[in-house]
Amino acid sequence: MNGRVRLLTSLAWRNVRRQARRSSLTAAAMIVGLALLMFSRSLAEGAHEDWIDAGVRLGSGHISVQSPEFRDRATIEHRISPRQIEQIQEALSADIIAAEVTATAPRITVRGLASSAAGARPVVIMGVDPELESAFSNLGDKLAEGRYLQPGDRLHAYIGTALASRLRLRLGSRLVLTAQDADGEITGQLARVAGIFESGIPTVDEGLIHIPLTTAQEWLAAEGELTTFAIVLRSSKSVASTFESIVSRLANSSGLSVLSWHETMPELDGAVRVDDFGDMIFHGILLSIVALAIVNTVLMSVLYRVREFGVLRALGLSQVQTGSVVFIEGLILTISSGFAGMILGISLTMLFFHDGLDFSFLFDSELTMAGIVIDPIIIPTFTTSLILNSVAFITLIGVLSSFYPALHAARVDIAESMKFEA
Amino acid sequence: MTHNTDTSVKTEGVWKIFQTDGLSIEAVRDVSLVIGAGEFVVLAGPSGSGKTTLLNLLGGLSHPTKGRVWIADTDITDMSERELARMRLERIGFVFQAYNLLPVLSAKENAEFPLLLRGVAEEERERLVSELFEKIGIGGLEHRRPSKLSGGQQQRVAVARAVIGKPALVLADEPTANLDREASRALLDLMVTLNRDLGVTFVFATHDNELMERAGRLIHLVDGEISSDNKQVLR
Repeated sequence: MNGRVRLLTSLAWRNVRRQARRSSLTAAAMIVGLALLMFSRSLAEGAHEDWIDAGVRLGSGHISVQSPEFRDRATIEHRISPRQIEQIQEALSADIIAAEVTATAPRITVRGLASSAAGARPVVIMGVDPELESAFSNLGDKLAEGRYLQPGDRLHAYIGTALASRLRLRLGSRLVLTAQDADGEITGQLARVAGIFESGIPTVDEGLIHIPLTTAQEWLAAEGELTTFAIVLRSSKSVASTFESIVSRLANSSGLSVLSWHETMPELDGAVRVDDFGDMIFHGILLSIVALAIVNTVLMSVLYRVREFGVLRALGLSQVQTGSVVFIEGLILTISSGFAGMILGISLTMLFFHDGLDFSFLFDSELTMAGIVIDPIIIPTFTTSLILNSVAFITLIGVLSSFYPALHAARVDIAESMKFEA
Repeated sequence: MTHNTDTSVKTEGVWKIFQTDGLSIEAVRDVSLVIGAGEFVVLAGPSGSGKTTLLNLLGGLSHPTKGRVWIADTDITDMSERELARMRLERIGFVFQAYNLLPVLSAKENAEFPLLLRGVAEEERERLVSELFEKIGIGGLEHRRPSKLSGGQQQRVAVARAVIGKPALVLADEPTANLDREASRALLDLMVTLNRDLGVTFVFATHDNELMERAGRLIHLVDGEISSDNKQVLR
C-alpha cells in the first residue's frame, strides 16, 4: 500500500476508534438496517417462491409446452403428437435442463360437463399420469376424503368438495363426463369418485376433475397424445435460463409453443410484481433511514472536527486527501458494519429456516390470491445473490452517504477553520 | 520587482477584503514586504489589525484580494488549491495558538506527519524525530498522545512538526498565548535557538511583549497597514 494511503487509512481508522460512541451508533444503524433488509428480503423471496410453487404445481408448471393455439382456445383440437412428446423429452434430457427439472406432468385437458342424478356442472377435465402428477401437483395433498389417483386406475375420478356437494357425489358415486373428442364428436365417459379434495380455491374445488391420462386419451380419441407437457423446476429463479435452453432445443420442432409461468399465470405474475414493488418501497424507506443515519453521524463528526481538517490542509494535505480521510472512515464503518449485519441477518433468517414464520393469526380463514391459497407460514429463502445484493446495497448506501461529509471536509476553509472552537 | 533565493517570503501591494453582510472589510491594506531567509520577524498590533490575516496570506491559507505573494522565488498568488497544498507541505511550517496537534496520533507521529506525506523513509524519519525531540527537550515523550502532554510540551511538538521538514518559512500565530510564563519563555528560547542554529525563518503574529522584544525585526500593523517596520538586535 502506498505510504500516503496507509497514513490516511490509519488516520481514518483511529478517528473511527476515537469516536467510539458515534461510530457505534452509525454501525448499529447499518447493522440493524442490513439485517432487517436481508431478513425481509428472505421472507419476501420465501413467500414469492411459495406462491409461485403453489401456483405452478396447481397450474401448468414453471414452464409448459403446448400447441401454439392451445393457449388461446384450449380445445383438444390443438394437441401435441407422440413424435413431439419424444422431442420434448429429448430436450429435457439435456444435462443443463435435467439438472433444473424436478417434476414433469403430461396432461390432456378439456372443458366439459360433469353430470350426476342431481344435475350438471361445467368443469375442466384433466387427464393425468397419477404417479407423475403426484410428484408434480400438490392437489393430491389436499385430500378431504378417499384417495388420489393411482397407477392402474381406469374409471376413477378425483373431484373437489364444492363439485361433490353440487352434484351430491360421495366416494364411489358415479358421474358422467361429457366433452368434445379429437374427432369433434361430443362423447361421454363414466367415472367413479375415488377421492375428494379441498384446495381452498372455490373455482378449483368446483370446477376441476382429475382422471387417469390413459382413460382420457382413449375416451377423447387422442391416444398417445397430450395437450400440455408441464414442467416444474427446482426454483423459479432458474425459469429464465431453463426456458431459453428448452426453446433453443425445440427450435426445430414445429407446432410447439414453450410458455413460462409468467405467461400462463399472468394474475400470479402480477401479484408477485406488485408485492415486489411494495417491498422495494419498504426497502427504499429502510435504506433511506440508514443512509440518513450515516450522513448525520459522519457529517456531525466532520462538523465537530472542522479545525482538524483545517490543520490537515495547512500541513499539506490536498482537498482530495482530506476528503479521503472522511471517506475512508465511512468505508471502514460500512465494511465492518456490513460484515456484522450480514452475520446478524443470516442468523435471524436461520432462526426461521425450519418452522418458518407463522402469520396465521392475521387471517380468520384461508386467504386466496391470483388462483392460489396463500400459506400463512412463510419460510424465508436464502440465496447467495440475495446476500451479495443486500451487502452490495448497504455498501453502496455507506459509500454514497460518506460522500457528502467527505466533500464537506475537503472544502473546509483553512483560515476560517482555525477560528472554530472544537 | 526582482527576487532572489535569500528571500523567504515577499508580498507586493497585498490587500485582503472580506465581504460581510454587504460591508467590505479591509483586513489587510496594500502590504508590501520582503522577509529574508533566516529572519526572526514579529507582526505586532492590536486585535483586528490584520496580523493573522496577513499570516494566512503569507502561508497560502487564503488568497489575496489584490497584490501578489511569493514564497522564496515562487509566486503563489494564482496557485490552485492542489499546488498550494504542495507548497505548504514542502516549504512552510505552521505553529498555531491552540497547538492543533492531531489527537489520534502520538507526539512522534504528529511531528513526522509532514515527512510521512512527503514519503520520507521510516529510518530517516525516526532519526530526524529523535534528534529534534532531544534538541527541543521533549525526548522520551515520542509515544504520548497530545492529551497526555502539557500545553508547553504540545506546543514543542507543534514546533517540531513545523520545522522537521526544513521549510523555507515557519509561520506562528500567537504560539505563546495559551502557555504560562515559564513555558512561554522556554518555547521562545527554543525558537530563537532553532532560528540561530538551523537558520529557520520565523514569522510570528503576537501580542506577547517578550516575543516582540526578542524579535530581530518588528513590524507593527494598524488597521491592516504596516505602520512601522524596524530591525532590532536579536536577543
